[in-house]
Formats: sequence, structure tokens, C-alpha cells
Amino acid sequence: MIKPLRKKHLQIWVALAVLIPVGIISAWFSIPPAAKDKLLQPTSAVALPVVLKTYPSRGGFEFNIRTNTDTTQFQLEWINNKMLTYPTATIYETRLNDSNVQHGKLLGRIEARGSYYFMGDSTFIPNNISTYQLVLYDFIHQRNIDIIKL
Amino acid sequence: MGASYLAVGWNRQKKIYDWLIFGFCVLYLATFVVLTAIFNPDYTFETVLIRATSTLAVIILHVILSIGPLTRINKKFLPLLYNRRHLGVTMFCIILVHGSFSILQFHSLGNENPFVSLFTSNTHFGSLADFPFQALGFFALIIFFLMAITSHDFWLHNLSPKVWKTLHMFVYLAYFLVVMHVMLGVIQYETNPVFIIIMLTGSFTLITLHLIAGTREVKKDNVIYKLKQDGYVLVCDIKDIQEDRAKMFCVDAERIAVYKTGGKLFAVNNVCKHQNGPLGEGKVIDGCITCPWHGYQYLPQNGQSPPPFKEKVSTYDVKIEGTHVWLNPKAYAEGTERPGAVISVVNAE
Repeated sequence: MIKPLRKKHLQIWVALAVLIPVGIISAWFSIPPAAKDKLLQPTSAVALPVVLKTYPSRGGFEFNIRTNTDTTQFQLEWINNKMLTYPTATIYETRLNDSNVQHGKLLGRIEARGSYYFMGDSTFIPNNISTYQLVLYDFIHQRNIDIIKL
Repeated sequence: MGASYLAVGWNRQKKIYDWLIFGFCVLYLATFVVLTAIFNPDYTFETVLIRATSTLAVIILHVILSIGPLTRINKKFLPLLYNRRHLGVTMFCIILVHGSFSILQFHSLGNENPFVSLFTSNTHFGSLADFPFQALGFFALIIFFLMAITSHDFWLHNLSPKVWKTLHMFVYLAYFLVVMHVMLGVIQYETNPVFIIIMLTGSFTLITLHLIAGTREVKKDNVIYKLKQDGYVLVCDIKDIQEDRAKMFCVDAERIAVYKTGGKLFAVNNVCKHQNGPLGEGKVIDGCITCPWHGYQYLPQNGQSPPPFKEKVSTYDVKIEGTHVWLNPKAYAEGTERPGAVISVVNAE
């Protein structure tokens, strides 16, 4: 290696020593508070015992609203029967006729085949639920995949 | 050493090295696939392959970038340097699989051309959290592609060492793009901490190694030799140089390697004609100074490659007074024969 090249190597690494930590820290702090990863179901998630409402199958997936015996907890049971054609999908709950996920609540992220369980709130109570809808949202392509009335 | 294309000659060491790389890659990918099949059986093959190749490529990239500074810190790492480009081409092949399957899975299912979709599906350039990180990976892939296809000596000769080296310095830009591709991509939604641990450990190690090695090298270049007489400068003691090895001194613009071999000292320009490798970090093999990077050879007394090769480096005058080694930094024309300085028994003691 020639002398100017050795100097250039060192200059580049001094610059990278600043840029890489700045990049890593900025990216780390840009992870949203309701990070998509934290909303992947925990491995210990199990179905609540009572099925409150069942919805018809929609091609590759189906879902149900579940609750416990005293109706104090609510859960969205999401079943991917087939591999999704959108591998980076999230489920948002929004008000009926408002498909903007920024106005809604992120319930969770789904990936491969299988069942997913996401905890819900009082909006899942039968009297309230008809005023809400689920939006299946592709966060890589930033677009709605499906909108399902609850 | 001609400028025409020559097929790569794989010697026994290179074959062993390549089989080790191949074996490691296969073992890593197989382990990743089996573990995923056990713990996440519902993942599709494409997803597993994208994740396995991404982690493997990032690990190999860190190894590749650490070889340079490691060899400058400790010569025991030199065998890794001889075969670094094999590792680089291997890494490119792995990244190509990662990139191809990612485009297939994320962008080939719509009506849009997958490459158009790559750049138009997400245009949130102003948002860090939603930044189109896939484009960063794509540009890094292009740099690695250019490096891989020009890795053969044929391109080094035809592009010239300066252009070739400049092109290959883009690896640092590619590394930064990879870091941001990972940080703005998978780290934004991944639960498994393995990737963030690899990135933090890898980048911290690389930065530290390069800064240590780089600072040492620049310090060596900036040594001021004060004692001068008749154009000669005092550089070291005879005992500082091992037999069949050299010490390097940057007296003026470029380093000079002073070799001790066959009872004499010889001085040649430190820069190998092949790829600017450091001749002073090599050793004398079969009577020839042998470059540690790719084995190019030069005769110590005249700086010429042994026939039929035609590479030549500059030579210098060196003399011994007592046990002190004096070097004249005025270069002779490349390939000029010099007598060297005889080490007498008295000097050697």
C-alpha cells in the first residue's frame, strides 16, 4: 500500500467511526414506541376459552374474537391458513370507514402460516365492535392489503 | 505476471482454504434452516433463506474487513490476506441469493416491475423509521458486484492498480450502506437480538481495529530521521532486522524496505508493482523478496523479478557503520543493480 492510500484509509475510518455510531443510534431511536416487533404474539400466547364472534374465511386467512369466561379480556385470533402473498403484514384496528392506519391502533404483525393471538380492549365488546374495522397493512410497501368490517 | 488473462491457479493451500469457506457456509446455512424448522416451522423457505443468507453475509463482510488491519497488527494473519478475494466473491454470491429472494418475495407479486417496485413502493425518504432501506441494500449489492467481477488479476492489469484500488475502496461505502440497510430495515421490527448484537459487535471491532492499525501506520510514515551524513540517514541497528526479513523506513515520500539476507543488507522500494503490496512485510524465499499479498518476487540486489517476469522496483544504497544501518533515500532507476552492504562478523556482534 502506498503512503497516500494509507492516509486515505485512516481518514475514511475516522469518518466511519463518527458516521456508523450516529447512524446506528439514530436508527435505534427511530424505532416507534409501539414497535412492530413487540406486537408479534409472544410465544406463550394461548387462545382465550370462549369464541365471542366468528368471521367467514377470507381466502388464505380467517379470524375470530375470543374472550374469557367472565368477559373481562378480549382477544383477536388470527389464523393464516396459507402463506400470505404479503410477507410483511400488520393488523390495525380503525374506526369504520376510516382506513388510515395512522388513525388506528396496531394490534400485531403476522408472518408465516399458523395462529396468532393479539390482546384487544373494550372495542371488542359486541355492542362496540360493529363501529370498527380491521385493516391488513403492508408496512414495507406502505399500503392497505385488505379492509374487513368487524 | 503478464497482462493477458490467466486462469486462476489453485494451489493446495488455496484449495484447503476454499473448502473451509465452503464448508463453513454450508454448515451455517444448514444450521440456520434446521433451527428455524425446529423453532419456527411455519416460516416459508424464502423467508428462512433471506434471513440465513443475510446474517451469513454480514458475518463474512466483517471478517473480510478485519483481515487488513489484523495483518498490520500481527503478521500471523497474513495467510488470510492471500485469500481475501475468495472470501469476497463468496460473500457476493451469498448476498446475490439474499437480494434475489428478497426481490422475489417482496416485489414480484404485484403488477409492477420488481425493480421499479423496489424504488417506488416506499418513497418515505424523509422519515428515518420508514426509510426505504431496501434501496440501500441494492446499492451495496451493486458495489459488491463490481468488486466481485473485477477481482481477477486480469482487471487489475487492465484497469491499472490506481483505478482498481479506487474502485475497491468503495467497499467502505458499501459497508456503511449495509449497516444502515440492517438498522433501518430488520432492526426496526425484529424481536431476535442476534442481528443487532452482530452489527454492534462487528462495527465496534472493525472501527477499533482500523483506527489502531491506521494510526500505527501513519505514525511509522511520519518518523523523522535526524542523523544525516552525505545523503544517508541513520535508520536502525543491524540487530533490528531479522535474517531474510526487512524493516521499512519512510524517509521521504514512500517507504523503503531494507532486507537482511545472505550476509548483506539490500534496500528496495516497498511498493510491489502488482497491487502496491508492502514488500517490506514479506520475506526472502528462494533468494527472492516475496510480496506478502500475492507472492510477486524481486531479486534483492536489483529489484527485478526473476525471468521471464519483467516487474522492477527502485533500489537504494545502504551502508553499515559499526552496528548502525544508514540508508540513502535517493532512488536508483527501477531494476538498477546495487552491491548492498556486507555485514561483517564484527558488525553482526
